Amino acid sequence: MTHADRHTVALLGNPNTGKSSLFTALTGTRQKIANFPGVTVEAKLGTAKFENSEITIIDLPGTYSLSARSPDERVATEALLGRVPGTPRPDGVIIVLDASNLERNLYLATQVLEFGLPAVIALTMLDVAQSRGITIDVEMLGNQLNATVVPVNSPQGKGIDALKAALHRTLHHPGKALHVPFGDDFTKSVDDLHAAVCDLSVRLGFKPARPEALRLLVDGAGPFFDECEQVGGKAFADSLQTLRERAAAGRSLALLEAQARYGLIGGWVAKARTSDDDGKRTRTDRVDAVLTNKVWGTLIFMVLMLLVFQSIYAWAGPLMEGIEQGVGALGGLLLALVPDGMPILYSLLKDGVIGGVGGVLVFLPQILILFLFIAILEDLGYMSRAAFLMDRVMAPLGLNGRSFIPLLSSFACAIPGIMGTRVIEDRNTRLTTIFLAPFMSCSARLPVYTLFIAAFVPEHGVGPFNLQGLVLFAMYWVGVLFAIPTALVLKRGILKSKVSPFLMELPSYKMPRPRAVARVLVERGTAFIKRAGTIIFAVAIIVWALAYFPRDGAMIEKHDAAIAASEDEVAAAIATIARDGGFSPDDEALAAAIADIEELTATHEESVSAAEETIVNGAELEAALEERAAAFAAAMLELKRRHGAAFEPAQAIFTTRIEGDEAVTTLEKRRDGELLAGSFLGIAGHAIEPAVKPLGWDWRIGMAAIASFPAREVIIASLGTIFNLGGDEDEESESLRHVLVDAKDKEGNPLFTLATALSIMVFFALCAQCAATLAIIRRETNSWKWPIASFTYMTSLAYVAALLTYQTASALGA
Amino acid sequence: MTTLADLSVGASARVISVTGQAALEQRILEMGVLPGVQVKVVRQAPLGDPIEIRVMGYSLSLRRSEAACIEVEVQT
Repeated sequence: MTHADRHTVALLGNPNTGKSSLFTALTGTRQKIANFPGVTVEAKLGTAKFENSEITIIDLPGTYSLSARSPDERVATEALLGRVPGTPRPDGVIIVLDASNLERNLYLATQVLEFGLPAVIALTMLDVAQSRGITIDVEMLGNQLNATVVPVNSPQGKGIDALKAALHRTLHHPGKALHVPFGDDFTKSVDDLHAAVCDLSVRLGFKPARPEALRLLVDGAGPFFDECEQVGGKAFADSLQTLRERAAAGRSLALLEAQARYGLIGGWVAKARTSDDDGKRTRTDRVDAVLTNKVWGTLIFMVLMLLVFQSIYAWAGPLMEGIEQGVGALGGLLLALVPDGMPILYSLLKDGVIGGVGGVLVFLPQILILFLFIAILEDLGYMSRAAFLMDRVMAPLGLNGRSFIPLLSSFACAIPGIMGTRVIEDRNTRLTTIFLAPFMSCSARLPVYTLFIAAFVPEHGVGPFNLQGLVLFAMYWVGVLFAIPTALVLKRGILKSKVSPFLMELPSYKMPRPRAVARVLVERGTAFIKRAGTIIFAVAIIVWALAYFPRDGAMIEKHDAAIAASEDEVAAAIATIARDGGFSPDDEALAAAIADIEELTATHEESVSAAEETIVNGAELEAALEERAAAFAAAMLELKRRHGAAFEPAQAIFTTRIEGDEAVTTLEKRRDGELLAGSFLGIAGHAIEPAVKPLGWDWRIGMAAIASFPAREVIIASLGTIFNLGGDEDEESESLRHVLVDAKDKEGNPLFTLATALSIMVFFALCAQCAATLAIIRRETNSWKWPIASFTYMTSLAYVAALLTYQTASALGA
Repeated sequence: MTTLADLSVGASARVISVTGQAALEQRILEMGVLPGVQVKVVRQAPLGDPIEIRVMGYSLSLRRSEAACIEVEVQT
């Protein structure tokens, strides 16, 4: 393959034009995400093959114009000029035009054609245009634009080869820049400004193109202006001002530009398009009459939102449990391969690696379910209608209608919610929504609330309500309560939208294409695992290490000696019982009797727990349990008869053995608790104790809070371990509840009061203790700045709110 | 002065001028709402804001505050 046969082409177009599906039709599945430093939008890279040549295609974000008020909008221009590090410089462009919406689509085309790159036009949505009585003379349109126009239908694969062939031809001929008739003063001002910015080339580090000078002249602001002003100083700003005044001659530059472009477009369209569009109601009109109707539209929207929420909140649950069990089972197989005597490797695999992998994969069901909805609704065209319906509700917060679904989803889990913000076009609105998402009370906070409410909030009635229920309700609203002022401050301050937040196209409805939906799911799923998964996994390993090291060898030896002594004691007690009964300890009759008792007891316990699980009615359950107890006693008598003299000692040995096992487990849990207390995490807990004391916490709660950095619900297992119950306790655990109620501080007073419990819950409602959320913020904003800001802000807020809660509640005597 | 925000649902009008903060004005113009162009108010959202207009053969949603930047002449 010769060098001349490798090319790079940029793909540009308005949103909703079928650009992504054209990209897929051209490149197949060979796509990767291009890294655009410093912006929150992303482009995809793919390779199209044509005969012997390979064409790299850069799919740039959909946009209506190249005017750029933010770095996100500027990136299209930078990419066209080959200035994005790591992304090849395009030798040509494909411009996508929606045939049913030609004028507005051509606006961007006039801007792109001014760059003078060899260009091919892909004309999409011809079927929609035809259904509206619009006919387009493709050849005539091409003549007007001085470019080849190829009709395409990507879902059906039509026109793709012709497009590639046209591209191949065009790439071997130099392009000619489009000349838009702006008027003499305007054109001369662009030329003069171009010369002025070219003088800054050395200090800018690149040679600005003429279309960039045009943008600078008209926009008068934005990232490119900032760059020029930085190197050109006040002299540059002044000369720009002078040129702007000359070009405008008292009118608005934006108006001059739009009139010149739309004037040119009007001429082209008059020649190339015939329309017998009589303004009759289209299918989209008829559907919209229902879907945006005051009553039906609102109702359908609410039912849909309920469905979305319910599916991520509840239906994802079994899938998540399945993933956890699957990872656990595979992990168990892995752990079985670890040779004895390697406790570090065992613990690293068990609590670090397997826990970490589970911690990443467990988010997939929620992400995939939410994106299944988003992809279908977006493809259908409903997402813009949902935004249209909800805009009025979100506007007072400085957000827009598109923020609603991501924030609603965040009540189930912030991860899919934050990933869902990419439907928000305005950068600052999107960043604000991302920042607010973790404030919504996600399902991972529920276990924390459940545990502390059940343990410390009395079950009083308050009017028709129950106090426990009211506290839970309040916890769900704490986040929203703090999110509102946060939104107001952000949107009035650093994230004020520079462009109108809600000028939004309502595209025609289309049938969702299963393949397009599937592609979105695969893309989002892999992006999450690759980009966020690695961070989440790394955090899991780090926190494991902090909880494991430094292991105090002397302490382990002391505990292991105590455990061994306890085991010896039990063995001796068993031997004594056997001897007293007249048996040798390894007597076969005795062993058979023990085995029978063991089996009978196990069967009985199983049947009791099965009854407890299946029988709901209290009286029925009692009767069933009595019946089982009687059967058990009778079976025991039968064993006694059968084993004769061996029965009594066997029963005593059985009991002793069970008690012995329990004693050993207790010792082991105490050892694990003390090891955790002596770990780096324990040390950190002690270190922060003075800071968390005013919140009503001691070092153990402080440590558990730090340990829960990977995920909030980890606090429960951490409290279980530090209070010597082991790490397998969950929020429903009675024993954990009792231990917390009985826990004492250094002075011997109860460690947890209602005030402490409330302060912990408020802290967890507001803190950003979720490595996965921070990782996904990093991924979606393409910067560490936002996750760090989010963590710092939310942790400070959580601290202050928990402090106020504790101090107020204790003053009130709680 | 009549603006797009004053029109009731179903009304058609011709755009006279676009004002407002520079970035907003530019975005409105880029979307095809410029002097001389025909617009029609198609519907309003259930809560009264935003509104949907038909312009250049496509549907555009905008807030009433944004529509108030667009001066129009009502067509009968």
